[in-house]
Order: sequence, then structure tokens, then C-alpha cells
Amino acid sequence: MLLFNQLQTYLYLALVLFAIGLYGVLARRSLIAILISVELILNAASINFMAFNRFLAPHPAVGQVITLFIMAVAAAEAAIALSIIVAVYRKMKSINVEHATELRG
Amino acid sequence: MVFSDPILLGCLLTVFLPLSAFALIMIFTRDNPKLSLAISLVAATIPLIIAWTFFFKLGGRAPIIYNFDWMVSDLVKVPFGFLLDPTSLVMFVIVATISWLVQVYSIGYMAGDPGFGRYYADLSLFALAMLTLVISSGLLQLYIAWELVGLASYLLIGFWYEKFSASEAGKKAFVVTRFGDIGFFMGLVFLVIFYGSLDIATVNSAAVANSMPPWLITTSGLLIFCGVMGKSAQFPLHVWLPDAMEGPTPVSALLHSATMVAAGVFLMTRIFPFFAASATTMTVILAISTLTLILSSTIALAATDIKQVWAYSTVSQLGFMAMGLAAAALASGTLFAGYYHLTTHAAFKALLFLCSGVFIHHFGTNDFFTMATQGGRKLVIPMACITIAALALAGIFPFAGFFSKELILTALAHLDNKLWLVLGLFGAFLTAYYSFRVIFVMLFPKSPEAYSKVPGHIAHVEDEAHGHGAHGHADDAHGHGHDEHHGVPWVMIFPLLVLASFTLILGFCQDYLEKLLLGASHPHAMNYFLLVAAVGCALSGIALAWLDWGRKDAKCVGFISRFPALQTFFIQKWYMDHFWRWFLNRFIYGIFSKWFTYNDRRVVDGGVDAVAFSTVGSGRLLSFIQTAFLQYNLLFMVVVLAGVGIYLMMGR
Repeated sequence: MLLFNQLQTYLYLALVLFAIGLYGVLARRSLIAILISVELILNAASINFMAFNRFLAPHPAVGQVITLFIMAVAAAEAAIALSIIVAVYRKMKSINVEHATELRG
Repeated sequence: MVFSDPILLGCLLTVFLPLSAFALIMIFTRDNPKLSLAISLVAATIPLIIAWTFFFKLGGRAPIIYNFDWMVSDLVKVPFGFLLDPTSLVMFVIVATISWLVQVYSIGYMAGDPGFGRYYADLSLFALAMLTLVISSGLLQLYIAWELVGLASYLLIGFWYEKFSASEAGKKAFVVTRFGDIGFFMGLVFLVIFYGSLDIATVNSAAVANSMPPWLITTSGLLIFCGVMGKSAQFPLHVWLPDAMEGPTPVSALLHSATMVAAGVFLMTRIFPFFAASATTMTVILAISTLTLILSSTIALAATDIKQVWAYSTVSQLGFMAMGLAAAALASGTLFAGYYHLTTHAAFKALLFLCSGVFIHHFGTNDFFTMATQGGRKLVIPMACITIAALALAGIFPFAGFFSKELILTALAHLDNKLWLVLGLFGAFLTAYYSFRVIFVMLFPKSPEAYSKVPGHIAHVEDEAHGHGAHGHADDAHGHGHDEHHGVPWVMIFPLLVLASFTLILGFCQDYLEKLLLGASHPHAMNYFLLVAAVGCALSGIALAWLDWGRKDAKCVGFISRFPALQTFFIQKWYMDHFWRWFLNRFIYGIFSKWFTYNDRRVVDGGVDAVAFSTVGSGRLLSFIQTAFLQYNLLFMVVVLAGVGIYLMMGR
């Protein structure tokens, strides 16, 4: 059995991508880096959709539609997130999350 | 149903007319004296007509009972309704008549008072409460009306509330009567728990048929008598009644002599079979009422305020009524003696107060020595009326008091222990003495110097007494700036004449009333010894008063001044006010208030504080997770989601 022809390969790939993304979200202090990590998580989800579509789905189009949908949403989300980051930068001259402490209890 | 039944309609009208009058005046027309007066008079006249119609139409018939369920619980049923039997009909007539007369009289007495509208609203409230009390069919309804009467009394005693002593007296009356009402209410609770019904007719017939345990009758009878003690001013709760004379004099006539204080005695007659079923209760009542009679008569010997004299005589006559009822119950007699005295007393005591009101209004003082030296006897009609009333109070033939006192003394004579009879006669002697002390002083005034030795009498009050507004509310003159010697308005004379004629007639209605109340008149053998003794006591009292105060060269000091210690004792009112002050300080404030305050501060307030502090504390703890660090929030979210995921996987 060839490695690229198996479901597990893609699932592990997605898992690794997801884990890297999660680590980035939790560990990076730059808002841009966090945004990039979120994109990684979304891509991991997209890969999962494509893999299940390829190997298990009875109808071949469903997963692809959702993947396209995720890409569109991710583009919009990136635009909004970047504008928020610009606003945050204007306010506190920094995009480091450690400096965004106005809601401290 | 309501409109097809004239009797029920009448009952409802008597209750709701005064109620709506009170509401209307208080809400809309308080500042318009004429309109308030008109509303109140209409609401007093219609019940008056209804009362007399009922009295003559329903007098001889079987009791009429209307009951509507108000509160139904599993075992307890509390009905609201009306009970019209002879006992309530007679009282109904008394209350309606006297409250109507007093409303008419007050037109003159209260004229120009800034609180005129409020005064009539309060009178309407009183009429509502008292009429409901009289015709109610259940004890709980009676209790509610009883408390409403207390409220009306509080409002009227403290009517001139800007005078400190008046508002204090109102509070005292309210609190002291409430002290007794606690007992009343506990008695009712006992009845509900152990018997299950508060219907007057049911309770009475059960007590007669011995279907109630004796201990219950004794316990709740004594507890209910506590309420009677408060309302009818029996020892030791009599202290509020003399202070209640701070109110306007017509109010004293209406509430504190004729009707409201009679509510206690009325309650005793209302459930007389119930009370009579326990000899223990009746003996206690007899002892307390006898003590009351003697105590208040002796205090009245030394009073110089005309209203105080009548106030203490009210207390003593109420004691006399209770004695009559208790003695009748112990000797298996009927309620007639006490109830008859209640009827006659209502007439002549209201008359006494209304006459005194004329004098007070005219001379602007409460001190009858001052009235006398300023020519009180020139007001012929009030002077004649007050003399008639005093004769009735002393029990002289042919005035009403003679017949009713005679009946009570007969009831006392039926007891085995003749001590009660002797004490009753002694009370009658004292009553005659102190009432004729007032009459003789007013009829045959001496020079002002002659009275200077009387303890308690302030010799030179003329400047103050005529207080024309400048002194504001000097004493009872309440400064409505009346002319010094204006005539007495006819609205004040008319009620006097009506009541005086009642005082004359009522004595001869004995057989009629007895037939009405008991169904049959019992011709009782005249006890001539008793008759002579009673009249002799009254006459010797009057003679002594003549010697002390009336004759030309009288010394104008009471016989009591030969015993200075006793006199001081009586002037200090047997130190009862001191006793209550001490009692309050020592026990209520010293023990109860202290512990309740401690409980309130520490347990109740402490509990509330603990809730508050723990909320603040936990909030402070939880605020540590609000770090304002974005990635902790994200981490928390991830951990929780992972936890939920693991939990869902495990469930599979």
C-alpha cells in the first residue's frame, strides 16, 4: 500500500498542521504570528475535509465545496483580523499581546 | 341576590358607606370642610336609619346569619358575614346613634379647625370599624374590625398631632391596647387549632353543649379577656384611657366612653355562653374588674381635669359592667345586667362628655374649678344636662343608671361571697361622690381663692385659658380663635337634649330590652334591702360631696385630704404609670429589646453581611483569571474543549 494512497497519512498531516497552529496561537506573542497560526489550523481542517472526501464520502463534491467555503471565509477573516491588528497597533503602538492589558481584572 | 334581600343590602350599606366616605374624604375632599362634612354625615345617617329599622323590624325574630367563605383551608374555614341577633342589634343601634350625634355635635365643636376634613374622615373610619365589629358573624372578622377601631382611636387621639402630648397619648393608646390584643389573637389561634371554628354562633352553642374541652374554654377565654382588658381599659391596662382624653372632646364621648371602650364588654356579651362555661375565667374577670372599679373611682376623687374625672369614671363603669357579667355567669344568671348597664352607660356617659365639651369649648380650659369660678352654671342647658347625667351615673331614681346599677348589684348579691357586693356598693358610693364633686363645684362656685388649696388645680390660668391663637394650641382650646362668650350653637345643644331624653327614658325600657335580648322577661323579686343599700350609698356619696364642696362654708378640700398619703397615692394614679415605665425599662428594654437587638445585629445583620462578604470575596478570587492576557483565555478554551472532547469519547 502506497503511503499517499492512505487516509491515515493525510489525517496525521492534518494533525501535525493543527498542532503547529495551536502551538503558534498559544505561544507566539505577535498578533500577526497568531493570525498565521490560525490560518494553519484552518488549513488542517481543510485537509481533513479533502481526505475524507477522497477516501470515504459517497459523493465526491461535498468536501471540496466546504473546503472552498473555508478558503473564502479565511480570506475574509484575514482581512478583518488584519484591520483589527492595524487598529490595535494605532492604539498601543505595539502588536504584542502582552501589552494589550486594558481588561485586567 | 344582594338587591333582592333588603337585610343583606342594609348590612352591606352600613359597612361600605362609611368606608367609601373615609376614602373619598381622605383622597379628594380633605381640604373642603363643607363637602367632607356632607359626605360623612350622609354615610352616618343611612346606617342610623338602617340600625333603627332593623332594631324594630328584626328585634324579636330568630338570629339572621349571612356567611360567605373568605378563607377555606383543609380543616379551617373562615367565613365573613353578618350576624343579626338581639345582642348585636342593640349595640348596632347604640353605635349608630351615638356616632351620628357626635358627628352633628362636632359641626359646632370642630368648626374652623384646620383638620376638619381629616377629622370627619377619621370619624367615618371609626364608624366603619365599629359597625363591622358589632354585626360581624365570626371572631376573626370581629378581630380585624377591633384592630381597625384601635387604628381609628389612634388617629383621633393624636388628632392634634402637632401637640407632643397628643401624639404621645395616641401612641400609648395604640401600644397598650395592642398589648392586650396579643392575648386576644392567641386565644383565637387556640380556638382555631383545637376547635377549628371561629363562628360566633358555633362557638357559643359548642360551649353550651359541652362539646369543647374545658381547658380550652378556660385558656382561650382568659386570653381573649386580655383583649377585653386592653380595649375596655381594665386593670392593669387601663393606663391608656385617661391619656386618650388628649383628643377632641367629641371623640372622647364617642370612642373613649360610649362605644369603642364598650367593645370589650360587648365582646364578652357576644360570646357570653363561651365565657360563662368556665368558672375560673369568670372568677379572674370578677377580681380584675372589681379592682378596676375601686382603683379608678379612687383616682377620680383627686382629679381636677373634668375629662379626667369622666375618664376614670368610664374605667370604673366598664369594670362595673364586667363585674355584672362575671357575677351573672358565676351565679348562672344572664348577660342582661351587664349589657343593660352598657346601654344606659353609653347614653349618660356620652352626655357627660358632650356637656363637658360645651364647657371646655366655651371656657377654653379643662379644669372644672376654673370653669366654675368663671360662671359655668350660666350655660343653663349644658348644666342641666350634665346634672341629669351625673344623677344617672350616681344611680339615682328615676335616671337610667339607677336601674342598670340595681341589676348588677342584684347579680353580685347572688354570689356566695358577699365581699363582691360590698365592694360594688363602695364603688357606687365613690362614684356618687366624685361625680357630685364636679357638679357641686360647678353649681355653687366659691371665690377662686377657696380652690387654691386643691391639689392639682392651677389657680391662675385665666390669661392662658382663653388662648386666642397667640398661644396656639393651649390645652383643649386648640386656638381656633373663638369669641370669649359666644352662644352655644344649636348643633351642640341638640345632641345633648337627645341624649338627656335617652337617659330619662332608658330606665323604663328595662322590660322591653330584657324581652328583646333574652326572649322572655323575668320578673325579678325586688330586693328591698339591696335597693335601700344602693340608693343609700349613692345618697351618702352625694351628701359627702355636698359637705365637702357644695354648702356655703364648705372647706373645699376633699375628705380624702385627711389622709395625705392616700391622697398622694390617688393623685399619682396608684403609681400605675410609674409601674409601667419601670416595667418597660426593666423588662422590655432591659431584657427583650437587648436580646432582640443582639439577635438583629449579630444573627440577622451578620447573616446578610456574610452573604455580601462571601460574594465580594469569591468575586475577588475569580478576578484572578481575568488576566487580560489573551493567550491564557485561548489556552483555557482549548483545555475545556479538549476536556469536553475526551468526555464525549469516553462516553462512547
